[in-house]
Amino acid sequence: MTPESLRKGPATGETILETEVLIIGGGVTGAGIMRDLALRGIHSILADKRDLCAGASGGNHGLLHSGARYVSNDLHSARECRQENELLKRLAPQCIEETGGLFVAVDGDDPKFAEKFPTLCRQAGILCEELSVAEAKRLESHLSDKLIKAYRVPDATVDPFRLALENVDHARVINGSIYRPHTEILGFEQADGAIRAAICRDNRTNTLLTIRARQFVNAGGAWAMIIAQLAACNDVHLLYSKGTLLISHDRITHHVINRLRPPGDGDILVPGGTVSVLGTTSMRTDDLDNVRPTVDEIDLNIREGTAMIPALATARYIRAFSRVRPLLQSSGNSDDRGAARGFVLLDHAGQGLSNFCTITGGKLTTFRLMAEKASDLVAARIGSKVPSKTASVPLPQGEACRWTAPGAAPKYWFKANNPDDMILCECEMVPQSAIDQIVQCAPGTEEEMTLEAIALRSRAGKGPCQGSFCGIRICSYLYDRGYYRDRTGLVHMRNFFNERFKGQRTVIWGQQAAQMELAEALHCGLLGLDSLEDD
Amino acid sequence: MTTCQMNTPPEMDMKEETRHFNTQLAIIGSGIAGFAASIFAVNRKIATAQIGNTGALAYTTGYLDLLGKQDDEQAAIADPWRALEELRKNQPNHPLSRIPTADIHNGFDEFTAFFGEYGLAYSRPGANNITALTPVGTLKQTLCVPATMAAGPRAFAAQKPCIIVDFIGLKGFSGRQVVANLHDRWPDLGTERIAFPDMDHGEIYPEVMARALEVPATREKLAAALKGAAGQAKVIGLPAILGMHRPDHVRAELERLTSLEIFEIPTMPPSVPGIRLRELFEQVLPHKGVTLIPQQKVTALTFAAEGATLSLSDSYGPIRIHTQAVILATGRFLSGGLEAHPDEIREQLLGLPVTQPADRTLWYRDRYTDRRGHAIHRAGIAIDHAFRPLARDRRPYNERLFTAGIILAHQDWIRSRSGAGIAIATAYRAVAEVERFLIAQA
Amino acid sequence: MAETPIATINFKEEAHRLLPEGASFEACLTCGLCSSGCPASGIENMDPRKFIRMAELGMDEELSTTPWVWCCTQCKRCHHVCPMNIDISQLVFLARSNWPEDKKPQGIVRSCQMICATDSTSAMGLPPADFVFVVEDVLQEVQATQPAFRHLQAPIDKQGAHFFVNQNSREPMSEPDEMVPLWKIFHLVGADWTYSSIGWAAENFCMFSGNEAAWYEVIKKRVDAVNNLGCQVWLNTECGHSYYTMWQGMKRFGLEANFRLESLITYYARWIREGKLPVNAKWNSKGIKFTVQDPCMIVRKAYGEAIAEDMRFVVTSLVGEENFIDMQPNRSANYCCGGGGGFLQAGMTEHRRTYGKRKFDQIAATGAAYVLTPCHNCHSQMEDIGHFYGGNYGVVHFWTLICLSLGILGENERTYLGPDLLALID
Repeated sequence: MTPESLRKGPATGETILETEVLIIGGGVTGAGIMRDLALRGIHSILADKRDLCAGASGGNHGLLHSGARYVSNDLHSARECRQENELLKRLAPQCIEETGGLFVAVDGDDPKFAEKFPTLCRQAGILCEELSVAEAKRLESHLSDKLIKAYRVPDATVDPFRLALENVDHARVINGSIYRPHTEILGFEQADGAIRAAICRDNRTNTLLTIRARQFVNAGGAWAMIIAQLAACNDVHLLYSKGTLLISHDRITHHVINRLRPPGDGDILVPGGTVSVLGTTSMRTDDLDNVRPTVDEIDLNIREGTAMIPALATARYIRAFSRVRPLLQSSGNSDDRGAARGFVLLDHAGQGLSNFCTITGGKLTTFRLMAEKASDLVAARIGSKVPSKTASVPLPQGEACRWTAPGAAPKYWFKANNPDDMILCECEMVPQSAIDQIVQCAPGTEEEMTLEAIALRSRAGKGPCQGSFCGIRICSYLYDRGYYRDRTGLVHMRNFFNERFKGQRTVIWGQQAAQMELAEALHCGLLGLDSLEDD
Repeated sequence: MTTCQMNTPPEMDMKEETRHFNTQLAIIGSGIAGFAASIFAVNRKIATAQIGNTGALAYTTGYLDLLGKQDDEQAAIADPWRALEELRKNQPNHPLSRIPTADIHNGFDEFTAFFGEYGLAYSRPGANNITALTPVGTLKQTLCVPATMAAGPRAFAAQKPCIIVDFIGLKGFSGRQVVANLHDRWPDLGTERIAFPDMDHGEIYPEVMARALEVPATREKLAAALKGAAGQAKVIGLPAILGMHRPDHVRAELERLTSLEIFEIPTMPPSVPGIRLRELFEQVLPHKGVTLIPQQKVTALTFAAEGATLSLSDSYGPIRIHTQAVILATGRFLSGGLEAHPDEIREQLLGLPVTQPADRTLWYRDRYTDRRGHAIHRAGIAIDHAFRPLARDRRPYNERLFTAGIILAHQDWIRSRSGAGIAIATAYRAVAEVERFLIAQA
Repeated sequence: MAETPIATINFKEEAHRLLPEGASFEACLTCGLCSSGCPASGIENMDPRKFIRMAELGMDEELSTTPWVWCCTQCKRCHHVCPMNIDISQLVFLARSNWPEDKKPQGIVRSCQMICATDSTSAMGLPPADFVFVVEDVLQEVQATQPAFRHLQAPIDKQGAHFFVNQNSREPMSEPDEMVPLWKIFHLVGADWTYSSIGWAAENFCMFSGNEAAWYEVIKKRVDAVNNLGCQVWLNTECGHSYYTMWQGMKRFGLEANFRLESLITYYARWIREGKLPVNAKWNSKGIKFTVQDPCMIVRKAYGEAIAEDMRFVVTSLVGEENFIDMQPNRSANYCCGGGGGFLQAGMTEHRRTYGKRKFDQIAATGAAYVLTPCHNCHSQMEDIGHFYGGNYGVVHFWTLICLSLGILGENERTYLGPDLLALID
């Protein structure tokens, strides 16, 4: 094991970091690779140009697939999902809620598709139990009166943020592997058919740094093709599919509700702790960095979702989000949804590089398997004979990783019964002590963390006010603590509100319009955040 | 003219009997515009009833803005009166552009004069805006400030040494934050943290502190702590906690006890200045003869040849208010005057046509704090010269119906820092039009 | 003995079921005006906003078991100040009902049991026969010792009387002479009234104990008693919650009544206006200051501004306009004293006094020497916090001051007068 050595290059003043493996991309796959390697005794640095789960890992329903969604078009993926689903439920229960899932057909849906569904599930080894319409309605009172068919499958939900945080934290605990947020790869130094170092920029300080390693892993998700090209590898072929989802104020169902028909818009409603997530639209895009929900996508999701759950038509929505999913081009250019959801691991040997690989595609449910395959390759190249242990070693619970679970913070807080530990985010009931712990020891913690980074590691700002009050309270608390010392804190606050707004913009109607008017009167009318001088 | 009053409580039988009231003017809405209209109407001896939840009034900061910023400009407005002239040229549809400067001035004069009598003095409208403080250490332009806050802008302008005092257990207000953000513009600003008397444990609210300061013994204890915190400074800034019912008295007493100059800074909700206004209105207006029904919502408004009728209900059943004229001052989304539906913005009570962007994609810009503001804020009710809402045929909806406040179209009160200005000025004009109408009727 | 566990309520669903659309928990903006304006905020580390958020976050077990529901007096001030009109008191009632009887604060449970134990519906368990005896005994004494009132009457079970008058048990039980001023007032105005041997008592802790069945029984007994006597008006005397529990109970349980519910305050005001009670403030030659406590149960939660106005009319008539200082806030915005909702009976003294600190501050800010209130719970609580926090004010009933003003307050009827007031008599 090589501990990181950090020194200043005397000539350039440039920071140089050294490690055995540099993993690029802080999604769940990158985080999983980091832990997998650490369990084999291999040190790594994980770098992300933004922060954990900034791409598709954080921009999905949080569904832990039973595999049933894929039985009709991708039996291989379906089987992989089933295996990983069972494994993760056992090894990372803190990140998972075993909600169960229903596949439901309503009047007008193709009865033939419904009929063969149980057989297909059986072929993939997925437990599938037919429910009577009455039984399904008893389980989920919000289901449409036009329900004609319902099956129960072992779908579950998973908190991708906690999953990534726990993986990164465990890797740190095992061998001091390092996670670096806002560290963007600009290029690679290559020599003799190998990459020697990655040239990076710290996007916060705008300074350059070099990361030297023996192996380089591209786990860039949708950005994997661009990262591969930085190393002059042209064998990664991705298409991009934009998906948009929205979050309701309340949790509407207990189970994951899937539409029993070939995959389409607005066909799934997934509980996310105290809320529900409705999705998904699918649209080709070329733009990776500026994806935002559109009004049309929102309305489409609601219109389609209403067929299963009529209450979706009048629910209070608090947020929407879009992320880009990478599609493997080799999987054909027909319907994006029909594209195989499998993943690909490229060793780039054909591109003349011996220590660089790319892993992309796949899905949240199979992240561990993807990490295992990538780590197998890396380990073999390093000459390590230690096998992967992630299929047997349970994921431990990190103290500072527990704040992302909906409803968890108030439970700890209520139990502690300490009136001096004041609640800063009143919606999600996040107390001072949680903020303290996050800024001190959460994965990726650093000086003057942004409010967005704190929010990513907690539930702060996730409730109905979407951070409009707690942004002010947390900011002033951090000034109090001497954590913010100058105008930067105010800029963080403004940026936090702007960032939260991106998710709100298309769902501001009804009660949310009232909430927004109050927020804007406060933020702009009183505090003048629309005219900060750094604009 | 006579006033109408609920003299005796309704008799408590189990049947719900409709109670009827007659009045000349019914004001629907209990925000700044509604209350300003009540004050103006009472001063003109118009029999008035006012209905509407006063809850959202508690969100106001206490500052009375007229015009603090031009849209899409970063610089603040120093002279709002001159800026009004600009506004008239650039935005002739803006509600403030429809009102003569003298009326706006008179409206502010009359409105602020009202409070002085009740222990909550306001600075009178001046030639220039006041540079006022905010709880995060930014600065804001406003026209009138409560006397309790006036020393802050003065001390800032004179660059006097000053200590911002904050409190253990009061979240959302940090002296360190104020100082960190004002330091370059006010070098002699410092901060101290103290415990509020008898509240040194757990969370405390500004409202509770303010009420406790109505008690002489609490003031004495706080004064002792403030003297300790002041050091060499002669000016102390506090979050807005200087009493609820008699803030001027509370401040004067604290200044007497400490020999310091003391001011307060508005805080984030739930904050004191808005609650002060709410409680003051709720107590004073009934005494002035206004029939105030502050907790109920008007469910229907109908017009007939001889007058208009408002329908509402309270715990004891239906109420009907028969009136000669109506001012609609129901506010926007927060107060329920406007409703945002996924497909359009609607006016809640009468379904009046709402001037608005073509569809929801245009409501908001991409960036929340975009200086140019959002189109949704400019949506609202269109009016004629007499502040009467227009029906779909572009003619007045009804000769008896007038409107005031931020429900009006063609303004963005948030970006232009003109919420109170629009409320007061349009209420002033609407009441003037009502008075003209009543005289013509008589 | 096996402990009965507290069942878990699904608060979010119940809120959805009980509260009107648009004013249920999901309408909450989380602004905190409710908590800022609630005297129970901070007690047991809870407040109204936390209650709503915990419900929304599914913390049903915690909400089902927090003793805070016994510290929230269901005064509805949170509802009053909420811009979205959200009412949590109904959910607090539900939570209270859900506690097993053996876990509930035993003081409230016992009070309810006592009420159910006799036909009197008295929380102090005074049986009808004893009540009749006390009334007759006191009446004879007055007739014998106060010549001006030798014809004083205190009818019991008088068929067809106009007013059915209720009576807080504290008087017949502990201070029977305190009943006399009210009788004198009725005598003076020539009211046609009666007590009833059945259902005469005012107090009703069954609602506060969350025992809906018992609440119904009590109200049913009282309604039947009034119907049987053929009275036209059930006159609620100086007690707050008795009115509210009767009114709400009759609505909730759909009870048929051939009478109206009215408050004595309304009649005090009417009789003064009509000249039947020729009170004046001349007696208050020393300018002793008074304030008034608006009981939540008859002001904010029931009659609203109308009765608050009547109360002020009566007080200023009694003590002089210049000697009346309103508490702040007041009327419908007034704070609960902390004696309501069964808090006084619950045995949670420390919490109750913490709650009462705001009331104490309100009273202290007026500088008044006396607080007038037409509610026995307010009365006891304000006396207690006055002693506890070192206040030097007294608390008096309206009937005492009315009779004082009229110069007819007997020697045994001056319990609540301090030396300053006693010095002004005779």
